[in-house]
Amino acid sequence: MTPENLLHRLPSTQKCTFGCPVLDRCLGGGIPCNSITELVAESGCGKTQLCLQLALSAQLPPSLGGLSASSLYIHTEFSFPSRRLHQLSHAFITSHPRIFNNDPCDRIFVHAVYSADQLFDIMPKIESFLENMNAQLPVKLIVIDSIAALFRSEFENTPIELKRRSSLFFKISGKLKSLAKRFGLAVVVTNQVVDLMGHSEGMNGLKVGNLGSLVSSGRRVCPALGLAWANCVNSRLFLSRNEEVVGEENGSVDVSACGGGDFLPRQTRRRLHVVFAPHLPDSSCEFVIRREGVFGVER
Amino acid sequence: MEVGRLPISASQRSKLIAAGYTTLSSFSSLSPSHLARDLKISDNEAAEIMRVASHSHRLDGSAGGCGTVNGAQTAWDMLHEEEMFPRITTSCEDLDNILGGGINCKEVTEIGGVPGIGKTQLGIQLAINVQIPVDYGGLGGKAIYIDTEGSFMVERALQIAEACIEDMSECGGLLRKDSQACQLKMHPNNILENIFYFRVCSYTEQIALINYLDKFISEHKDVKIVIVDSVTFHFRQDFDDMALRTRLLSGMALKLMKLAKDFSLAVVLLNQVTTKYIDGSFQLTLALGDSWSHSCTNRVILYWNGNERYAYIDKSPSLRSASAPYSVTSKGIRNSASNCKRIKMM
Repeated sequence: MTPENLLHRLPSTQKCTFGCPVLDRCLGGGIPCNSITELVAESGCGKTQLCLQLALSAQLPPSLGGLSASSLYIHTEFSFPSRRLHQLSHAFITSHPRIFNNDPCDRIFVHAVYSADQLFDIMPKIESFLENMNAQLPVKLIVIDSIAALFRSEFENTPIELKRRSSLFFKISGKLKSLAKRFGLAVVVTNQVVDLMGHSEGMNGLKVGNLGSLVSSGRRVCPALGLAWANCVNSRLFLSRNEEVVGEENGSVDVSACGGGDFLPRQTRRRLHVVFAPHLPDSSCEFVIRREGVFGVER
Repeated sequence: MEVGRLPISASQRSKLIAAGYTTLSSFSSLSPSHLARDLKISDNEAAEIMRVASHSHRLDGSAGGCGTVNGAQTAWDMLHEEEMFPRITTSCEDLDNILGGGINCKEVTEIGGVPGIGKTQLGIQLAINVQIPVDYGGLGGKAIYIDTEGSFMVERALQIAEACIEDMSECGGLLRKDSQACQLKMHPNNILENIFYFRVCSYTEQIALINYLDKFISEHKDVKIVIVDSVTFHFRQDFDDMALRTRLLSGMALKLMKLAKDFSLAVVLLNQVTTKYIDGSFQLTLALGDSWSHSCTNRVILYWNGNERYAYIDKSPSLRSASAPYSVTSKGIRNSASNCKRIKMM
């Protein structure tokens, strides 16, 4: 057993860009390799959009912030959004004309999984898939969208089942981390949210990370799967969406004067927050979802 | 202590060894006349040998024995020993204060908290602070960092190392250390080189590594801290036989305590939190169960109080229960922003 030479890791851990400089800046370069990053959001906030975009930008060369790699996309609920992927990849090829010889969608391997036990059971298959990859564009990104769906319906609310559930968290996370270390993978996992009932006492109100409370669509939420799963991921990012009255922030509209605000034009503001990460300070950034993809905005 | 290391003449040494006295403890409880008779030398000469021996024993400070039980020490000797090793600062004055100056060598300290509270940050800060040179009040040692979760990010360690060097230069400038020896020649890359980083991916690897550390540290005697981040991750998977888990954990704990005592280094174990059903409600507690809580000398819990991070001494034989605020900044662990105190380096 010899210690690793940390100088070989300099100047920084390898990261996979999002394809947008604003988002990359907020996250210190992108999604780091050798670790598990969790995207937490309620449905419709853009988790899947970000994951599809990552699967495409992972194919960029390292000089442009990518990993020169293929991706493995494991989806667990609904069918895979292939039409949206094709739409995004057209936009991608247009913005990077000289990079892609083939269709980038060919470099994204999709697999469906329906239960947590099944996910753990296919780990050896995933490992041999990674070992036998062709050297030109090896798989360096694994996306699991979403991990919450695997765990939320099949475990009964008894102590034995809950114990089995949390030990599965650690088993799956342990296996993913060891694959990440062995092959230098970036692993992205998406998670859902649950509402916070009543006041903020109790386990769900426990403050984990930088944000005192996670707010989305005007309600307080907290990530699903509880404290045990929070211990299994290295970084957690929270996507929120909130409706705001247009012009309210810069004072150009007086809400009360407009008769209650029902007829005011509203827009959806989306934000990406860093809840916890070993290499990032408490930061957040606004983003929009367009036809060409997800882009951060600086206001 | 070996007779061969005593500063006595060769003929005296050969007489001692021929008579069967090979270690200090074997004759330190004898009277000088008894020793004189055994070695067939004069009383004065024997008294001189005993004086030299006890003088060397005091300087050496090792558990040479008081003649009664091999390896026993008086409490007075132990107090002197404790004062020989400075504590490892956490770079946060308030935190250092409740810890009695910092993390203590020869002890196992367990630090636990919720995700995102700063356990890994504190681990990296300690791995860097142990390298502060003796001239600046540190130990000038190296660190072993055992990463079980993959949370160690080299760019963050570099950032903290640069800030530490900056603080030291500032302090050096203030105290006007003009002598050559005190000039800071450290570069952040040197700091990274002095961290022996191991990544383990399963509990068997973790146990094998901790068993191997004995050999590793005897080859690298300047290691002064071993950090395990986190000690609990691989043990929270399903163990069909919980008794096996308890056995493995206690074996590991004993090994770590022995490492701390034998090599006079600090062992810091980072732990996760879990919920426990106490008195009809769920409460937060450190993972790995009740039997594990006996495995460490000191226990520190990190928690949120509103928007501030706090550390609380949960268990310690020598420190009183207290809490202190700290913050995680771009420079590493520092005092909480609401108390603007100057960081003391000495």
